[in-house]
This record gives sequence, structure tokens and C-alpha cells, in this order.
Amino acid sequence: MDRLAEKYFRPEKYPGTACRGCGLRLAHRKVLEAADELGLETEDVVWGTGIGCSGRQTFATWKGDTFAGTHGQVYCLATGLRLALPPEKRIIITAGDGDAFTIGFNHLLNAARRNVDMTVIICDNLGYQSTGGQYGLTTPGGARTDSSPYGMWEPNWTEDGFDVLRILKEAGATFLARHTVLDGQAPVESIQKALLNRGFSLVQLVYPCVTHFGVHSLGTRNLAEVYDWFRKRYGAGADGLATGIIHDASGSRPEFGARLRSYTERAGKGDAA
Amino acid sequence: MKRTFDTGNAAITEAAIWAGCRLFAGYPITPATEIAENMSRLLPQVGGYYLQAEDETASFHICNGAAMGGMKAMTATSGPGFILYADPFGWAVSSEIPVVVVNSQRVGPVSGITGAPGQGEFYLSRYLTHGGNYETIVLAPASVQEAYRLTVRAFYLAERFRTPVTVLADQMVTDGWETLLLPETAEDERELGLERVERAVHPGPDFYPSTDAIDIPPVVLGHNTGGACSDWTPTERGHDTEEVEWQHRHAWRLIHKIRSNRALIDEAEEWFVDDAEMILVSYGTPSRVVKSAVLAARERGLKVGGIRLVSLWPFQDHLFTRTAAYLTVELNWDGQLVREVQRAAPDGSRTHFFGKCGELPSVAELLETVGKILRNEPLARSGWEREAW
Repeated sequence: MDRLAEKYFRPEKYPGTACRGCGLRLAHRKVLEAADELGLETEDVVWGTGIGCSGRQTFATWKGDTFAGTHGQVYCLATGLRLALPPEKRIIITAGDGDAFTIGFNHLLNAARRNVDMTVIICDNLGYQSTGGQYGLTTPGGARTDSSPYGMWEPNWTEDGFDVLRILKEAGATFLARHTVLDGQAPVESIQKALLNRGFSLVQLVYPCVTHFGVHSLGTRNLAEVYDWFRKRYGAGADGLATGIIHDASGSRPEFGARLRSYTERAGKGDAA
Repeated sequence: MKRTFDTGNAAITEAAIWAGCRLFAGYPITPATEIAENMSRLLPQVGGYYLQAEDETASFHICNGAAMGGMKAMTATSGPGFILYADPFGWAVSSEIPVVVVNSQRVGPVSGITGAPGQGEFYLSRYLTHGGNYETIVLAPASVQEAYRLTVRAFYLAERFRTPVTVLADQMVTDGWETLLLPETAEDERELGLERVERAVHPGPDFYPSTDAIDIPPVVLGHNTGGACSDWTPTERGHDTEEVEWQHRHAWRLIHKIRSNRALIDEAEEWFVDDAEMILVSYGTPSRVVKSAVLAARERGLKVGGIRLVSLWPFQDHLFTRTAAYLTVELNWDGQLVREVQRAAPDGSRTHFFGKCGELPSVAELLETVGKILRNEPLARSGWEREAW
């Protein structure tokens, strides 16, 4: 991590403020490895964040330009910013599951519909952990949390036939993948593909929260046990969610900025869309 | 000078484009929809972008994002959308990103009546976002021509102060048709009092100076200066912090960059205030009736004056130095401006409120009220319409 951290992260923000054993650092590492392997420099990327664990702990960590939005709004900021930036600049957003799949879901769907060129990395720790561990819409059914003391009872986006990534696919996203941060090189490869797609890409990176999810839902603070649970839920042949590249339609739809620039140019000459 | 006949909505659109606005994001709402429609028609002709967003928060945040990337941006709405701007407005305030916000007030609360003028967002325009610890700039046009000038001015002030600026209009200004003069030459621009500041890029690294200095270009991302732009309390470098000391510096800057430089913002019109025993106070469209009422009262030999606020916030306490009977004339029933006048007026003054909603008061109604107040007679009011605030 050190070489990549030195290259891409502000020294005063590394190693960061995440809890001991938090998988967020692994999620960051996957993104940095992908960026590094693609030869991206700090000036090639503007890095945005949302709220929650991933928002707060990622903001202003990137050495280059960086921004943060209020709850669920960072996709809108990125949509506006996309029009102002040169098309070759990459926008990477690290946001949490609550920020993206709950409070910001409408905006996320619209960013997918418009195919806005951004790479959204959902750092999914299965609930609202920075606020003390309440259930979110990716919290496993039955899981005890601070706001589901008798077990998670709500239908969520990742069980019982629901898959939030399928909704995003229908909304028009052009690249979708899901991994856990324990999946080795596979998430790095998916993030690279996401970064190469000139359109809306999203990689859901599920990672363990030891402090809240581990203690309250799994009944253990033991890192190895928590990580084992993750491997069982998301590993090959497990009952859990499909991982890997879920949908790759890179380049199949016009990108938002390019489309609007082209529309504006034609409209400026008086041509109809 | 190009002379046309058009609406306030058209004037605001033309002004924004003249001022350099190249992105408009909005969500349709009466009576501000025409601004969006006009923008969708005119912006492509100057290479600018129109976006119809999925809701109001998205509209404003798309503007914030574009402004953060170096573009001048504007959004427009009415009360039901304005309240939804609370979150992105606060984001722009705290991260010091210039955006122009138009609110064409209609009758409320909430959806109220779509096509009738109101003035219910006087305080909301001051305290739109949560958390306090900021000062804001609000301008209130009373005519189509002034809607043009103040929209240009809003862009000018937004850039110089690194802050969102609100144009608080009302339905009569935005839907009303009047003569509109548009500049064609540099001389026209001077004559119409128009000024423009081009967007510059702050080079960093002190993105959030803890001084009250203005004319520091906003943070613009994409130049790899390590720009950091967020809703978090920033350090001088723009980083987020949990240190209360930095929060104190940040709040101090947000408040005093505006208060300490208010000479650039303050604007009002006064009629016969010097010897007035009674002063009518208003802003926006009702002020036009008020002006007529003041003139009519003077013709009758009454010592009546008037104050029209053109800039609403920061509130211009300094205009209220004369001990007199004050009467605010507002398009609401609860009395909003009256509270500020009551607070600002010197001891020994009396403060009264005349409310109306959905339609303008008549000169006759105002003269009758003025007469009663001057004669110390009780005001005729219906049971629920009490003069208490």
C-alpha cells in the first residue's frame, strides 16, 4: 500500500481514520491498484465522496482534486461537474451503500439513465455503520442491528430475488460489477474495466465492518471470523449474491456529456434533436 | 439599446446569459417554469447547457457541480421547490461556490396557489439552510427591467463573494409584461448599470482563507491544484476537520465576508423619508403601489414617506433611523418584513403591518390605513387578521 499511498494519497490523510480491521482500506487499495495499472496520475482523476464511513473517510484523501456531497447528492454534483471538466478527466466516486442505494438512489438511477461518465465505487459495509450500526438496504435478512434489534425484517435490495445491480442495469448503467474486497485481483480488474468505460460504471465492493456489523450482527469482533462469514456469503457456490462482472455494455450507449455537447451544437445551429 | 416587450422570466433568462451563465438546471414549477423553458431555447445558441433534473435538490446540485468545475450556473424555482434547495444551498454556502438562485414567490404555504403572487419566503431566503453560521445575499426586483439588472448583479456578487445569491422575485415580476431594454453596446451596459466578473481559478493552497476578504476566486476542480470542495467544515487547506477552532474560523469568514463588505450589496430606494411622520416599507411588486400611495398622500399634505428594499439580506437596519410610524406592506398574512422593521426602528417608533395575498393592495386601501394610523384610530381588521407578530 505504501507505494500507492505515497503516489495518490495526501500524507496527512493516510492511513486515515477508519476503525481497526475496517475493510475500507482494502477497498481503497483495489481502486489505487486499478488506477496505477492503467497509468492514471493524480491530475487525471477528480475524486468525489458521499456521506457515511466511505464518504467521510475518503474525502480529501486523494492527492489531486476532490469533492464531497451531502447525503445521496454526490451523483448530481458529479453530473454538473462532468459538463465542466474536459471529457478525458476521470471522475471516481467512493460512496456507501446507504448513500447510493437508499437516500441517493433516485439520483444514482438518473445518473445511470443519462449514462454520465463516472466510476462509482460503492463501499458497501452492509448498513449505516458510521452512525452506530443501523440497518440499511443491503443488510442481510435477520441481521440484528441497532435499529433492527429483533432482526432485519425489511425486504432489501440484495435478497429474495432483488438485486440492486439489476435495477441499475435496467436504468441504463453500462458497466456493473460486484465483489468483496477479499476477492484478490478480480475487483481490481473490474475497476479497471469500469474506469475504461466512457459512461456510468458502478462497482459494488462489499467489505466487513468489524466494529458494528461484526459485533451486533455476527456476534464477534474477531477479524478472522468476520472475514470468514464474508467468504461464505459471497464466495463461489455460496447462497449469497452473484459476484464478478454483472453487466458489461461498455461503449454501447452515448455518454451524457458527449450527447449533451452534440445536442447543444446541433441546437445552436437550429437543427432539431 | 434593444427595446422589447417581455416578461420578468424572459428578462432573467437574458440577464443570466449576458452575465455568462452557461448552465441552467431546473425542475419545472409555476410561475418560474418559463425561465427554464427560455433557458432551454437560448442556452444552446451560446454553447451553454440546459438540464431538466429529476428534482429540485438535483437541479441545484448539478449547478453546484458545474460551478465547482468553473462554469457559471443558475437555477430557478418557486416556494415549493425553494424549500427543497435547503440542502444544496447550504453546500454552496459552506464550500463557497457561486450559483445564482431565482425564487418567484407564489401564495403558500406549501403548494398554495400556483398563479398568484406571494411574499412568504422573506425569512426562508435568509435562513434557507440548516446549521446557521452564515450570512447571505438576497436581491428583490420590482419590475421586469429590474429583474434583468438584479440577475446580472446576482452573478456579479456571487463571483466576488464566492457564495450563492438569491433573486427573490414574485409572480407579478416574473409573469408580468413590461418594456425591457437590452444592452447592445458597452455604453448601454454602463447606462443599465451592468457589471460582469469573469470566473477565475484560485490556485490554492489556501482554499478557505479565514479572513473576511472577498475577490478570492472560487475553488475550481480539474486543474490538479489539489482543490478540495465539500460540505464539511474545512481547514485552510480545504480538508474536513472535527476541530471547533476551524469551525469558528469558517463561520466567521462566511458571516463577515458579507457583513464587512455590505456597502457593495446594500441597495434601497427612499421617497420623502427626511420629514416623514409615517414611512411605508416594502419590497418587490407591492412597492410600486406603495410608491403611488406615498405620492398620493403627499398630494394630500400628509407627511408620508416610503422605503423600498432592493437588497433584502443582509437587512439594512441603517435605513430605519427616523422615529416615525412604520407600515410594512407585504404579500402575506402573517407579517415577515414587519418583524425586521420593528427590530430596526428606533425607540419611540410604532410599527404596523398591512397584509395582502395573491393580489396587490390598492392605493385607496393603503391611504385609508395610513390615515387611520396617523389619526391613531384602530385599524379595521377581520377577526383572524390580527396585528401581532
